[in-house]
Amino acid sequence: MLTLLTGYDFTKAWFSLNTRIVDRPVLAHQQLELAPCITIPDNTNPTVEEVRVDMADMKIESKHVELLTSVGSCVAICLHDSVHKCGGLAHVMLPTSAQGLYEPLPSKFANTAVPALVKEINAMVGNQTRFSAKIAGGANMFANLGTNHLDIGAKNVRAVKTALDKHKIRLAGEDVGGVHGRRITFDVASGRTIVRQHNGEIKEI
Amino acid sequence: MNSQINIDLKNESDSKETADVSVAQEINLGILLELGSIGAGHAATALSDIIQQQILIDVPKIHKIPPHLIPNFYNRHDIPTIAIYLQLTSKFGCDILLTFELTEAKKIAAMMTFANSIEEIDLEMETSALHELANILIGSFLTAISDFIGISLLPSTPQSIVDTFDAIIDVFLIKQSMLAEDAMIFETRFKRQGEDAKCILMIFPSQELKELIAEKSKPIIELK
Repeated sequence: MLTLLTGYDFTKAWFSLNTRIVDRPVLAHQQLELAPCITIPDNTNPTVEEVRVDMADMKIESKHVELLTSVGSCVAICLHDSVHKCGGLAHVMLPTSAQGLYEPLPSKFANTAVPALVKEINAMVGNQTRFSAKIAGGANMFANLGTNHLDIGAKNVRAVKTALDKHKIRLAGEDVGGVHGRRITFDVASGRTIVRQHNGEIKEI
Repeated sequence: MNSQINIDLKNESDSKETADVSVAQEINLGILLELGSIGAGHAATALSDIIQQQILIDVPKIHKIPPHLIPNFYNRHDIPTIAIYLQLTSKFGCDILLTFELTEAKKIAAMMTFANSIEEIDLEMETSALHELANILIGSFLTAISDFIGISLLPSTPQSIVDTFDAIIDVFLIKQSMLAEDAMIFETRFKRQGEDAKCILMIFPSQELKELIAEKSKPIIELK
């Protein structure tokens, strides 16, 4: 009625007052504005060789290389051993192996990827070592699009943290959640982990 | 129309029953591919009508590979991409994803709005134009299929996202890997005046939808 009389939608104004606290969705055209065709540089440190870790894959290295992976709702787990200057990266897709069909691919699931990484690095250095872990990813890519998506990103992050706790690995840094994909480079020798987002944000964790 | 099916048959078994099953699956794939070709043809015509240029389509392909191998298969890891995402509004889940490289998207939007240069159009207009494009393209695709087999396939409203290629398809692959060992992707690439339009249409049909299409197409095959 008020709307008809005054031509101004008061209910809308009331809702906008109430919903200000809630995170406003980022619209696609705003995203475009934020990201005017930024191409992420391929190799930031040309002296160091980069090795790409594929989806549901893991790699361990003792040489001085940078492990590189891109994640959206997946989670990248970087384990670093500062004593032997080596480490590994796993690109995890799903929280538990019960959720997918069984496959002999431990790096696909959070609960199997952590022990597999630990085992392989231990085998490489020859004895039990202590690790610190850094994780990144778990974004909810379609959060702002109102789809009925199971927030698999958050579930993945939770499962990875549980698995790390279970194996008594210290979580040294994390960059999780959000709505953007991430590109992670992990220097196995120094343990330096750099996360780049598509909108140009660069973060060291 | 030429058709090509890429199937990785992991374990070829000797028993006759499983061989029959695989033959049936291959026939189903063939049906899907043929329907897809018809749909893609319509979509390409729609696209070329909109931007008033000749648009060619690559022969559509069906890839049946484990989901986690797909990013490497496309090898477009960190390319900035705009993806327009639609779902079928029916009980059969089916994700439809239309991806453009960001620069290509700008070009197409400029053509659609009759702008003289890429800088001329504003960003809201661009997104809106691409949504419209996706609606028309996928609408004509689905109409062609649903006319053919007589089930109604209605898409939801388009939603878009800008990110790197890997990060975008990631969540769809997760969804696929929860459902089946192998993901089935129906893929079409568009070409514009000789150059690759860097536009990929990906469809992830669910098992139910595949079965329904196969069942509905049976009379058509028998007629020949």
